[in-house]
Amino acid sequence: MTAKPLISMNRVFKNYETPSGSFAALRGIDLEVQEGEYVAVVGRSGSGKSTLINVLTGIDSPSSGEIHVASTAVHNLGEEELAKWRGKNVGVIFQFFQLLPTLTVAENVMLPMDFCNTFPPGERRPRAMALLEKMGIAEQADKLPSDLSGGQQQRAAIARALANDPPLLVADEPTGNLDSRTSEDVVRFFSSLVNEGKTVVMVTHERDMTRYFTRTVMLEDGAIVEETEAKAWS
Amino acid sequence: MELSPRWRKLAGDLRNARGRLSMMVLAMAVGMFGIAAILSAYTILTREIGRNYLGTNPASALIEVDQVTDELVDAVRHRPGIANAESGTSLWARVEVKPDEWMPLLLFVVKDFRAMKIGMVRPESGAYPPPEGSMLLERTGLPLVNGKFGDGIRVQTPNGPKRKIVISGLVHDPGLAPSWQEQTAYGYITLSTLALLGESGTLDTLKVTVSDPSPNVVAIERTVAGLAGWLRQQGYSVGEIRIPPPGKHPHETQMRAVLAMLILFSLMALVLSAVLTASTIGGMLAQQVRQIGIMKAIGARSSQIAGIYLALVVLMGGVAVVLGLPPGIAAGRGLARAIAELLNLTLYSEAVPGWVYLVQLIAGLLVPFLIALGPILRATRITVREAINDYGTSIRTFRSSRLDALLGKIRGMDRTLLLSIRNTFRRRGRLMLTLGLLSAAGAMFMTALNVRAAWERNLADAASDRRYDLEIRLNGPHPEEKVLAIVSSVPGVQKVESWDIDPAAANRHDGLEIARTYPDRGHGSFTLRSAPPGSRMIQLTMLGGRWLPPGDSDAVVLNHMALRIFPGVKVGDTIHISVQGRQTAFHVVGIAREIVTPAAAYTSPEGFHRALGRSGQTNAVRVVMKGHDEKTIGAVTREIERALERERISVKIDFSETRLDNALSGHIYILIFALILMSAIMAVVGVLGLASAMGTTVVERTREFGVMRAIGGRTGTVMRNVIGEGVFIGLMSWGIAIVLSLPLSAGVGRLVGTLAFYFPLPLVLSPAAMIIWLTVIFLGSTAASAYPASRASRLTVRETLAYT
Ligand SMILES: Nc1ncnc2c1ncn2[C@@H]1O[C@H](COP(=O)(O)OP(=O)(O)O)[C@@H](O)[C@H]1O
Ligand SMILES: [Mg+2]
Repeated sequence: MTAKPLISMNRVFKNYETPSGSFAALRGIDLEVQEGEYVAVVGRSGSGKSTLINVLTGIDSPSSGEIHVASTAVHNLGEEELAKWRGKNVGVIFQFFQLLPTLTVAENVMLPMDFCNTFPPGERRPRAMALLEKMGIAEQADKLPSDLSGGQQQRAAIARALANDPPLLVADEPTGNLDSRTSEDVVRFFSSLVNEGKTVVMVTHERDMTRYFTRTVMLEDGAIVEETEAKAWS
Repeated sequence: MELSPRWRKLAGDLRNARGRLSMMVLAMAVGMFGIAAILSAYTILTREIGRNYLGTNPASALIEVDQVTDELVDAVRHRPGIANAESGTSLWARVEVKPDEWMPLLLFVVKDFRAMKIGMVRPESGAYPPPEGSMLLERTGLPLVNGKFGDGIRVQTPNGPKRKIVISGLVHDPGLAPSWQEQTAYGYITLSTLALLGESGTLDTLKVTVSDPSPNVVAIERTVAGLAGWLRQQGYSVGEIRIPPPGKHPHETQMRAVLAMLILFSLMALVLSAVLTASTIGGMLAQQVRQIGIMKAIGARSSQIAGIYLALVVLMGGVAVVLGLPPGIAAGRGLARAIAELLNLTLYSEAVPGWVYLVQLIAGLLVPFLIALGPILRATRITVREAINDYGTSIRTFRSSRLDALLGKIRGMDRTLLLSIRNTFRRRGRLMLTLGLLSAAGAMFMTALNVRAAWERNLADAASDRRYDLEIRLNGPHPEEKVLAIVSSVPGVQKVESWDIDPAAANRHDGLEIARTYPDRGHGSFTLRSAPPGSRMIQLTMLGGRWLPPGDSDAVVLNHMALRIFPGVKVGDTIHISVQGRQTAFHVVGIAREIVTPAAAYTSPEGFHRALGRSGQTNAVRVVMKGHDEKTIGAVTREIERALERERISVKIDFSETRLDNALSGHIYILIFALILMSAIMAVVGVLGLASAMGTTVVERTREFGVMRAIGGRTGTVMRNVIGEGVFIGLMSWGIAIVLSLPLSAGVGRLVGTLAFYFPLPLVLSPAAMIIWLTVIFLGSTAASAYPASRASRLTVRETLAYT
C-alpha cells in the first residue's frame, strides 16, 4: 500500500480518572485505515471500542498520541473546531438516541447542513429527500422519529450522517438494537457506500457478517490484538 | 421561506414545553406589568407635580408686615434678589358644614384676582374673579362643606358675625393638600368681601419670589433676611416670615419616597421572574443533554446551540413585554390618577416618556437574557461524550444524607410525606428560588398589613396620649376664668383646662422669626403652649428628660416635631423661642413623642407669661366630656360654642378626635394598596414558579413514579406525593415570610412613619395577615402542584418507564 492513509492513529492512549484511580481504556493504539476501507472494530464489552471511536471522531480527546484524518490533526483541535470539522468530514452514527425528537425525519437530515452551512438553504430539503430515498424511507420524511421503527430510525440516522457528504463514516454499534435481518441490511448498505468511495469504521458484534468488511480490528483491554484482512472477495 | 431545522427545533421545544414556558412568560409578564405600572406612575407624577406646583409660581417667602400698600409692593419689587412681590393675607375662619357643625376654613384674601402672579390658583368652574359677597372654594372642599356650587353657606371670621356667602366658583390650588385630607376648607375672597364678613380689610402679608432661578433655602433666607432688614429700616414691623421648601410641593418628598420604594419592589419582582425563567430553561437544558450531544456530534458548535436557547429566552421575554407592558402602562396611569387625586394634582398629561418604554423593552429582553446566559453557556459547553455516555448522567448525585438520616429517625411518619420532604431538598437551587419568590411575596403582603396595623396603633396611641375630647381655639385671648366658667357650666362637660397657645419660631440672631411653613399654615408650623400644671389631658411618652416641673417658668418640653425646628437640641440645652416678636430663653427639660401634632414647645403658665407677657387670659381650652362617642361630642361641642357666643367670645376652630382620625387615614391607604398590589404580583410569580418547579420535578421523577406504580402505588399515592411536596414548600415559605416581614415591616414602618409623623411607626404584627397569607399559600401551592400531579398520575406505567 503506497497511498497515504485516510486515518492514522499513532500510539494513542486514553486514561479515565476514576475514584479508584486512573484507568487506561486505550493503551497505545496504532491504526491506519486507507480510503475506501470498511473496517469492523470488534471486542468484548469494555474492551475500549467506543473509546477508540470517540477519540477518532474527536468526541473525546486522547490522553496522548496523534490522530490524523486526511490532513487534519484531530488531536490538536479545540471543541468548537472539532464540531465544525466533524460536521463536514465525518458522519457519526450511534446505537441509541440519534434523532432529535421534536424534528421530523427530513429536518433531522437537514440539521447538519444547517449547522455547517454547507448547501444553499433551497437545496437542503431536496438533498435530504434524496438521501432518504436512497435509504428507502422517503415516505417517512415528514414523520417524527417516534413514529418510526428502530430500523427506520437507524436508516434516517445514516441519511443524516451523509448529509454533508463526508468521506468518512464512523458508527458505534449501529446494529446493536436491531434484529438480525435489519442489521444485515444496515451492514450491507454501508458496504454499498464503501463501493461509492466512502470509508467506514464501525463497531459491531455481528461476527457472521465479516464477509462484508475489508478488515476486522479486534480490541482487548484497550489494545489491538488481532487484525484480519478480509478475503479479497471484492 | 421555510424555517431552518434549528429554528424548527426551537418551535418544537416550545410546543413540547408550552405549559411550563407559558407559565414563565406569564410570570415575566406579571413582573413587567409591575415595573411598567410603577415606573410610568412615577414618571407621570414627578413631572406633573412639578408642573402643577411650579405652575402656581409659588412664593419663595411670605412675610408678615403691619400693612402692605401698593407702594411698598412696588418698592419691594426693586429690592436686590427679589423677582416679584404681591400683597395678600390669609385668616382662619370657619364654615358651617351641617347645621351648627363647623369646619376650619382658611380664607385667602386676594387683592386682584386678575393680576395674581404669585401662588396663583387656577379657575376650574364658575365665576372668576368672585363677585363681591361670594367666595371661590378650593375644589377638594366642595364635598366636605356639603355645598353646591352657587349655594349660600354660612361663614364666620374671627371678628365677624355668621354670614351667608355664596360659593361662586371653584379653583384648583395645587399647593394645598386636599381638603378632605386636612379636614379644612380653603376659600378665596376679595378685600371687599372680607369687609362684608366684618373684618378690617388690611393686607398684611408680603408674598415674594426671588430672582435666583434655582434657589435653596439658605439663599432664600439670606435674600429675605436682607429684605426684612430693609423693611424695618423703613419703619415696618416685621412679623413671621414663612419660607416653604423651594419648588417643592408639600407632599413631594413623601410621594417620591413611596414611589421609589415601590420601584424597588417591582424591580425585585421582575428580576425574580427572570431568574425563574432562567431556571426553567436550565431545567429544560438538563433534560436535553443528549440532544445537545447529538447536535454537537453532527457538527453544531456550542455557540450555535446556545443561540437556540438564548433565542428562546429572548422570545419569551419579548412576549412578556408585549403582554405586560400595555396593561402595566394603563395601570400606571390609573395609579398616577389615584395618587394625583390624593395630592390634589391635575394631570395635564398622562404621557409616559419614550425612555420608559425603551428601558422596559431592554429590561424585558436583556434581564432574562443575562440571567439565562450563564446556565445556557454552561449546558452547551458539555462535551459530546459527557452528553452521550451514560457516565454523564450519574455525575449528579443527591447529597442530603444528613437530612435523610434525620427524617428516617422520625418514627411513624407517613412514608409518602417523607418521600416528598426528601425530594424537596434534592434540588436546592430550584427550591431556593421558589422559596425566595414565595417568601418575598408573603413578606411583602404581611408588611403591607403590618404597616397598616402599625399606622392604626400609632393613631390609637396618639389618641390615648390626648385624653380630652375637644380642643377649642378662640379668636384672640379672653379672660381665662370667664372662659373656663362658661365652658364648665355646659351640661355634659366633665373637665375643662386652659391650654393657651401662640405661634412661635426659633430665634435668630437678627431677631427675625422664620418658619418653614407652607401657605396652608399647617405643614411645618410651630407653637408655644401653656400646659396646666398636673394636667392629665396629655400623657406623652418621654423620649428623654421629664415632663414640666410645676411652677418652673424656665422649663420647656419639646415634642419630637419641634426637634426639626431646633435640630440637634438635647435635654439640658437652652433654646431661644420667639413669640410675637419677643425672644425668651428656655431650658429644655424633656423631649416627648407626640404623634399627629405639629411642632410644639410646652411650658408652664408661668413660662408662657414670661414669653408673652400674658397671664390670666387664654385663647384655647381642652375639654373632657362625660360621654365620648361622636354624637355626644358633637352635641356638647355645639352647646359650648353657643354658650361662648352668648358671651361674645368667638370661636376660631375646634378639633375633635374623630376629625383628626379622618384627616390622617386618607394618607396611608394608597400606600397599603400599592404594597398589596406588589405582593399580589410577587405571589403570582411565586405560585407560577412553584407550579413550574413541580412540573419539572414531575418530569424528572417520571421513572420513579412509574416504579412506584409498578410496585403497587396507586394514583392517589403519586398525587399525594407531588402535592405534599408543593404544600410543604409553600408552608416553609410562609414561615420564612413571617421572619422576613419583621425587618421589612420595621423598615417600611420607619419610612412611612418618618414621612407622615416624623417618627417611625411601631413594629406591629398583624395576625390576620399571617392567617390570610397562610390560606393563600396553602391554596396556591395545592393548586400549583395539583396540575402536574394529576398529569403524573395519569401516565401509564409503560409510558413512565419508556420516558426518555
Ligand atoms: N467516562 C469514563 N470514565 C471512566 N471509565 C470509563 C469511561 N468511559 C469508559 N470507561 C471505561 O473504559 C473501558 C472501555 O469502555 P468502552 O470504550 O465504552 O468499551 P466498549 O465500547 O468496548 O464496551 C471500560 O472499562 C469502561 O468502564
Ligand atoms: Mg461501547
